Amino acid sequence: MASFLRKWWRLLAAVVLMIAVTQLFLRPPAALQSVGPVRGYAVAVFRPVYATVDFLKRGVSSLWGGYIALTGVARENEELRREIAGLRETIQSNREDLLENRRLKALLGFSEAIGRRTVGARVVGHDVSPWFQGLFIDVGGEAGVEPGMAVITPGGGVGRIHKVYHGLSEVILLTDGRFAADVIVERSRVRAIAEGTGGGVCSLKYVSPTQDVVAGDRVLFSGFDGSMPKGILLGTVVSAQRPREGLFQHVKVVSAVDFMSVEEVLVVLTRPSIPFRAERP
Amino acid sequence: MRLFLVLLAASFTGTALSVWWLSGFVPWFLLPDFSFLAIVFAGLFIPGPLGLLAAIPPALFRELTVSAPPWVLFLSSLSLYFLAREVSLRLFLRAESFILSTTAVLLLLESVSMVILALLVGSRSFSALWVLKEGIRVAWTSLIAVPLFMDLSGRWQRVTE
Repeated sequence: MASFLRKWWRLLAAVVLMIAVTQLFLRPPAALQSVGPVRGYAVAVFRPVYATVDFLKRGVSSLWGGYIALTGVARENEELRREIAGLRETIQSNREDLLENRRLKALLGFSEAIGRRTVGARVVGHDVSPWFQGLFIDVGGEAGVEPGMAVITPGGGVGRIHKVYHGLSEVILLTDGRFAADVIVERSRVRAIAEGTGGGVCSLKYVSPTQDVVAGDRVLFSGFDGSMPKGILLGTVVSAQRPREGLFQHVKVVSAVDFMSVEEVLVVLTRPSIPFRAERP
Repeated sequence: MRLFLVLLAASFTGTALSVWWLSGFVPWFLLPDFSFLAIVFAGLFIPGPLGLLAAIPPALFRELTVSAPPWVLFLSSLSLYFLAREVSLRLFLRAESFILSTTAVLLLLESVSMVILALLVGSRSFSALWVLKEGIRVAWTSLIAVPLFMDLSGRWQRVTE
């Protein structure tokens, strides 16, 4: 037995770890939901990176649009070219500021309109794993953000806070397989549960074949489950199929927000009425 | 120690570039998982406690940047390290084809495990398009592993000699 263990302990360690992973995945213990000191300190090593990248992104975008794109201008007008480049850089920079200003104004107006305390955040990264869908925003526990809080934009819902660090939070997108929320179809007031499918769309559960849902319908969060604010847009129905057999329709909804291009979001600083766990209710 | 620092730098830089910079405009299946590569390299080429020590930071980077349930990615990465170590001790051949196939098999093993877990939880379905994209990611990451591992292991040999 001892020689067997000595020979195969690495393989046994791998198997034991995989069993632990299975257990954590299927039934994550509540005690592990909070961010411990190890992850809290470890995430701090990335802070300079995403802060710098965010700064550079804006700088490079401004430089690219305002200067590098002008290198094809005639060489004989070097002085003029420089002047134009400088002016264009300024214009581009102003335009970027203007666009950002507009977006932030829209966020502010929207924040006032929904009548809840919110905090604005910038998107600084995306989850690149094949199995999960999430993004990172640059506010964390210091701003009052907690797991389960809703993340929205004026264009529609984005998702829910999953893990919170100092100065950084992880958001589960509403297309992630672990997302579920109570929704209502705007036109026909049909209620359903929206679930992420892990692809680019959500599906509506428990819509009976007699209920009126058609492609093009707008789907809003109902707010009944207390997880997402009432009236926020989830997306638009792209297909509603009535199966010959089965109790419910197959309804697909495409999200109103393009998660790859969203830059700023609002976190609704209201604790969810149901304690958050990163799994389906 | 030098190789430990190289692996740490490679996994940190790779993860940082993918998650904080390229993720906004490059699709996920074109972004190689450098932390995964660092863990597999530590398992295949660095013997003893130093290998395990070298595998811990990349495992932590994966834990922090993937929105999985808490500690799932960290523990599965350590499991991956022990598997790579076992492969290294039982079957090791320092050849391009071996590195390519080992990396691809370990990537597939991890991916299939995650898919099975996700299906068990009932949290998502996987389309044919997703399988195709995942195939591209596995192929791409395995191809990158070959020159990277050959170069790093050559350096490691020279250092140990």
